[in-house]
Amino acid sequence: MDFGQFLSYIASGTVYTVGVTLIALPAGLLIGTILALFYVYGGKAAARVMNLYSTIFRGIPPVVLLFILFFAVSKGINLSAFWAGSLSLGVVSSAYQMEIVRGALLSVSGDQLMAARAVGLSRMQAIRYVVLPQAVRLAIPPWSNEAAIVIKDSSLVYALGVPEILRRAQLIGASSQQYLLAYLSAAVIYFLLVSLTTRMLNHLEQKLSIPSNP
Amino acid sequence: MPKPILTIKNLTKTYGQNVIFQNLDLTVNEGDTIVIIGPSGTGKSTLLRCVNLLTRPNEGQIWLDDLEITAKGTDEDQVRQHIGMVFQNFLLFNHLTALGNVKLGLTRVKHLSDEEATEKALHELSRVGLADRADHYPGQLSGGQQQRVGIARALAMDPRVMLFDEPTSALDPELIGEVLEVMRKLALDGMTMLVVTHEMGFAREVADRIVFMEKGYIVEEGSPDEMFNHPKFDRTREFLWKITELYGKKEKEAE
Amino acid sequence: MKKYLMLAVALILVGAMLVGCVSESTSVLDKIQKAKKVSVGTSADYPPYEYLDDAGNKTGFDIELMEEIAKRMGVELEWVDMPFDSLVAAVAGGKLDISISCFNYDEERDKIVDFSEAYYTTEDAFVVTSAFAGTISAPEDVANYKVGVQSGTVQDGWLTDNLVSAGLLPEANLSRYERVDQAALDLANGRIEVLMGDYVPIQALVTQNPDLQVVYRGVLSTGPINIVLPDGDTALKAEVDRIIKELQAEGFIDQLALKYFSE
Ligand SMILES: Nc1ncnc2c1ncn2[C@@H]1O[C@H](COP(=O)(O)OP(=O)(O)OP(=O)(O)O)[C@@H](O)[C@H]1O
Ligand SMILES: [Mg+2]
Repeated sequence: MDFGQFLSYIASGTVYTVGVTLIALPAGLLIGTILALFYVYGGKAAARVMNLYSTIFRGIPPVVLLFILFFAVSKGINLSAFWAGSLSLGVVSSAYQMEIVRGALLSVSGDQLMAARAVGLSRMQAIRYVVLPQAVRLAIPPWSNEAAIVIKDSSLVYALGVPEILRRAQLIGASSQQYLLAYLSAAVIYFLLVSLTTRMLNHLEQKLSIPSNP
Repeated sequence: MPKPILTIKNLTKTYGQNVIFQNLDLTVNEGDTIVIIGPSGTGKSTLLRCVNLLTRPNEGQIWLDDLEITAKGTDEDQVRQHIGMVFQNFLLFNHLTALGNVKLGLTRVKHLSDEEATEKALHELSRVGLADRADHYPGQLSGGQQQRVGIARALAMDPRVMLFDEPTSALDPELIGEVLEVMRKLALDGMTMLVVTHEMGFAREVADRIVFMEKGYIVEEGSPDEMFNHPKFDRTREFLWKITELYGKKEKEAE
Repeated sequence: MKKYLMLAVALILVGAMLVGCVSESTSVLDKIQKAKKVSVGTSADYPPYEYLDDAGNKTGFDIELMEEIAKRMGVELEWVDMPFDSLVAAVAGGKLDISISCFNYDEERDKIVDFSEAYYTTEDAFVVTSAFAGTISAPEDVANYKVGVQSGTVQDGWLTDNLVSAGLLPEANLSRYERVDQAALDLANGRIEVLMGDYVPIQALVTQNPDLQVVYRGVLSTGPINIVLPDGDTALKAEVDRIIKELQAEGFIDQLALKYFSE
């Protein structure tokens, strides 16, 4: 087996890595944003529930949730390994993304909300048109961090037999006895994926940045 | 007969054990400019926020024209449309241009079409002398310009009354004049205004009445002439002397 | 180990689910026969039992054996690759019908799945030439000599874990070979003194070469290996056990051992 075959075998797992990330990250963002809105604007009881949610899902190792969803819960609904993996990573990520969005909402000061309401906007409108657009901009740098984490965590679905990059590296490493080379190839692919994503998000951050004179 | 636009009766506001003001009465007539002065922590900002329903008073009533806005079941958003508010720290929406700041209430609250809103917003911006800065973001404007956008934003809603909470105290001395100039013009145009400020020049020249608040009470109110030249209480005289001294110095520095 | 802790957590949950599901007592065998398909899990990273060939296809001792078992069951075989740690949970959770991946019987695992009869017992052997003057009365004694082994095998694993890591056998005294016959060559010309391997291919070697002799035979590395089956499914177990016995009687399994444990 030559090196080209070797690399292309591992690289073909990228489809799954990217697939899992593209499900987990947006799912986490959607859930996380909704929960963050409840956390910040939903009153004390909601905040307590959200805090519990955050503590639980940031406390459980993702792979345990993965196992629970795939081996226990999905007995009833029959989720494929790919979906069970993607969704559990999405749920775990939602807890982190909730904290990111929450932090961003809180640092767009309460004064902005007050100013919007003074103009006559309802609370919902003020959040929608004044707080969120500013919070999104603040959230991009920490979100970029989370994206990198989810890309790397996507490798955990290997535990369910999804042939993504890490699993493929293990398999080809075992059959060729070239473990070092196999894992190095995997590392290179992850590095490329993460740096590409970070670049795209940096670009987005710059594009969305609000002009100002120093 | 002067027509009251804003009537405040028996207003009491407490934060926990802390009584900010108690049984406060104040009437603002149509076209009047009322200037409120008083030491820090007296409850001036709290009073304005109560009027705008940004905080709820504990007791007492407030009428806007004939509508009791403190009554249960009042549509707060509806009320706030008719009361313009200008903040000490401008509080422009940072992610929107000057035009966007003024348009937001027009499109989202008054439901004007984009075109109508733009036209109206440009008109308000030119009233405060900033038509040429319409597409600048707050971060690209000076403090004075930002505050003028803040005024335009409030004016665009065609409010019955404008509230100003120390609109110039966050500004560098050389930028105060342009904001006061806009306010002076507004007063001359007949806008009803309730202004918390320590700009005594403005108060003397523009105010119909000056209200001196201290420790949650209205100590004394009267025309500028009464307050500056024949105050009933020593405390009023002392306070006026102090701030004239303080702000007079600042004004000189600016020149 | 963290991995096992997590596995345990998952297993407890699976166990709890299973308790709730005892009522549906239809055998997985019925399901397999109806669908004409059996889904079998393996962790294809363990040569020579299960691994990928150069074309990326699964191959190995377990793989070929399972393919024969499926053939005799008259059903199509669907392979599912999964890491070793997940395979038991997957059978217990009903995600797989069967798992084959060089499993040893294990009491903990037996609580949530069943094991077939052992289809093979990996016996290990040490072989020396007639010129060998030392003594090997216990397996650990080989640490005193120059040892050869096929690289990546379970025997390699045993030597590395028990002798090299323990500091008994210097790394320099352990030679790893691609193939057993290469090792046999070095044994003959004295570069190594002892060769460790699976008993079946070692015995084949000795038969061909009378100068060699087995000085130790016993279960060190792997021992009896079994197929993992759903818990309490007696019908499926009976069918799998029956085929295993048949294959053992025909010598099929020894043939496979020769094929995979010597080259
Ligand atoms: N949300 C709040 N919760 C508790 N106490 C408050 C709150 N807002 C204001 N206060 C207190 O109410 C008192 C009056 O505050 P307020 O801001 O109305 O005074 P002010 O007259 O506007 O003073 P300044 O000249 O400093 O602006 C202060 O003691 C302040 O600490
Ligand atoms: Mg104040």
